[in-house]
Amino acid sequence: MTDTLQMLVTIAVIALATFTTRVLPFLCFGSREPPAILSTIEKNLPPMILLLLVIYCLKDVQWLVTPYGAPELFTIGVVAGLHFWKRNAMLSIFTGTSLYMALVQFNVFSFL
Amino acid sequence: MTDMEVKKHEIGERNTDLFVNALKTTIPVFLGYIPLGMAFGFLLDGAGYHWIYAFLMSLLVYAGSGQFLAVALLAAGAGLTEFLVATLLLNLRHAFYGLSLLEKFSGAGKVKPYLIFALTDETYALLTTTEVPAGGSKSRFYFYIAALDHLYWITGSVLGAVLGSMLDLNLEGMTFVLTALFVVLTIEQYFNSSVRFPFVAAVGAGATSLILFSPDNMLLASIILGTLILMCREKLMQGNIHVNKRTRKLHAVTVQPVIQPVIQPVQDSSQEES
Repeated sequence: MTDTLQMLVTIAVIALATFTTRVLPFLCFGSREPPAILSTIEKNLPPMILLLLVIYCLKDVQWLVTPYGAPELFTIGVVAGLHFWKRNAMLSIFTGTSLYMALVQFNVFSFL
Repeated sequence: MTDMEVKKHEIGERNTDLFVNALKTTIPVFLGYIPLGMAFGFLLDGAGYHWIYAFLMSLLVYAGSGQFLAVALLAAGAGLTEFLVATLLLNLRHAFYGLSLLEKFSGAGKVKPYLIFALTDETYALLTTTEVPAGGSKSRFYFYIAALDHLYWITGSVLGAVLGSMLDLNLEGMTFVLTALFVVLTIEQYFNSSVRFPFVAAVGAGATSLILFSPDNMLLASIILGTLILMCREKLMQGNIHVNKRTRKLHAVTVQPVIQPVIQPVQDSSQEES
């Protein structure tokens, strides 16, 4: 019983901490205008954060060991190229994911 | 049917369209959250916890990397303070997400608290990039996207916890769907806006953080670094405008008296230039 209680308290703490980080800007700037500098960079945040999320996805790549991140970089290149060409989100995403799964499961870049 | 019923029917149909649209928009997240959620559920199950906890955590916490961190801390027997500090630090990036959604969420009404609660990386990416279908309610569309993503995550984690050890699917590489989603949404951002500097800032901040910080810390570090770069550039641009104005004034004040008495006609043109 104490174990259950402790687990529930732990989950509550994690949930609260996570929600705090998400609600913070809304609490700070909910009623008053955000400072001018923030509203000017507000529009620039989404494109920057999205590209950072792409880079973040590469955080566990071992650049100095075979295959030197080749499957990741190659697939990202294909997804980007396909998307610039056809601009069809589903096509780009599914082609890319299937390609990547094939590349890592069949170890295609093992020759590197 | 009475007018009232017709109207209700129309609204119902429009909402169904909106829901179907949200369903299509979130397919990539579905394909990413199911295996990722399963991995989480599988880990928690492996650490000796009942599947109900996987369900509760995904329902109440709903943070991918945050929940993986929690499993690691549980396994290490961490104290509550450690859970609190580690989770705050790991998820602090979400505070930056909200900053760019203040305006978008301002008219969201009663679903706003839920939208804020459900603001994961993937939902943020979709909400900032996807256009609300013409004629549809913004708050309803956002709510559908956020709730569907949440549902996928809960489903994945419960599946993983319940049958993780029984299943032997080769899903290696499937979570790359989320990388592909981010790549596509980044390109959409590129098409949607004419500003290019954020991409430069991201490459600089991302590469620097990848080298300097551990994989766990790099996202927050890079977002802070990138935001600082954006702010510095903004200040510099404003500074430049100020400096230009001041030198113009100085120019006008110092140059004028010298030229003025000598050749009168030139003065007009020099003033126009400055």
